[in-house]
Amino acid sequence: MIAVLGLVLGVVIGVVTRPVVPTGMEPYLPIAVVAALDAVFGGLRATLDGVFDDKVFVVSFLSNVVVAALIVFLGDKLGVGAQLSTGVVVVLGIRIFSNAAAIRRHVFGA
Amino acid sequence: MTPVNQPNEANQPNQPNQRNEPDASDGPRRPTGRAALLAALWPPRASRGQLVAAVLLFVLGLGLAIQVRAAGSEDTALRGARPEDLVRILSDLEDRSARLEDEQSTLEDQRAELENSSDQAEEARRQSEERERQLGVLAGTVAAEGPGITLRVDDPTGAVTADMLLDAVQELRAAGAEALQINGVRIVASTSFVDHNGGVHVDDERVRAPFVIDAIGRPQDLEPALNIPGGVVQSMENKQAAVAVTRPETVTVDALRSAEQPDYAQLSS
Repeated sequence: MIAVLGLVLGVVIGVVTRPVVPTGMEPYLPIAVVAALDAVFGGLRATLDGVFDDKVFVVSFLSNVVVAALIVFLGDKLGVGAQLSTGVVVVLGIRIFSNAAAIRRHVFGA
Repeated sequence: MTPVNQPNEANQPNQPNQRNEPDASDGPRRPTGRAALLAALWPPRASRGQLVAAVLLFVLGLGLAIQVRAAGSEDTALRGARPEDLVRILSDLEDRSARLEDEQSTLEDQRAELENSSDQAEEARRQSEERERQLGVLAGTVAAEGPGITLRVDDPTGAVTADMLLDAVQELRAAGAEALQINGVRIVASTSFVDHNGGVHVDDERVRAPFVIDAIGRPQDLEPALNIPGGVVQSMENKQAAVAVTRPETVTVDALRSAEQPDYAQLSS
């Protein structure tokens, strides 16, 4: 419940305050958001499985974000940034889908 | 911290179990997903896991909101673009502007050409209208007015013949008359003067006395041309005809001839 409140609060504050992201960070923000989404879905699935561990959640969340940003950064340096970020999004999307499928099985039993 | 939270943490998976025990036959160890979700949602517990998840989700929500807003606004769309994308966009724009400039210069050339040609066409039309008017006066297809003289010949004895009228007309032409008519018959290059049955026929039309010849031209030239000794006026007066030459302010020659279309001759230009 508190976690959901945190998410809502984050969205509201982001919309209301309109913070400015540093220019150097901008290319990595969308990828980081997608990676964080993957971690959140993973955490939700773990909760439903009854194996949720906050340490695992924190580590997976941060490492997901950092690794995703790192991959994009590396891609930019190598000149294949666009393709690599597409690849990252595809992989994370697949993971989100499989987690969502597990969650669905838990919640709806189907 | 940890020891306090530990039991709470440990309770988390167990709590749904306890709640479900009365009605759920799903299995003692595994709660159903729906029940687990409800259990995780409803009794708000300030456990460490919940707080940590809340902080991370707060960050996620913030990033989500920022990114959605950034992607939605056109102005900042280029700010996050990669250098190679920016270079491509720039070169696309340069190509496009070069193409458009080409097109612009082509269209400007075309416009200048069209304006030029329409000016020329206008000038040609004006000139041909002017020429048509001049030729119409000569050919007798349009009315004309201007300075000139009027020659009136009263012929009580019927002594005036076609020859004498033709002399008068030729004298006037030689003096520079531009448009002529006699008793309402326009005189042009092909006009005929014939004596017929004791009268005078001009272009097959009977003309009776008094003969009135209207001539447009320079009066100072026309009048002396008629009055020279032994000229038209004198020879007519010798035949007992009364001749009067007047200089009205304007002479109007409004008798017309229809333009004849040639049957065989065609323009050879």
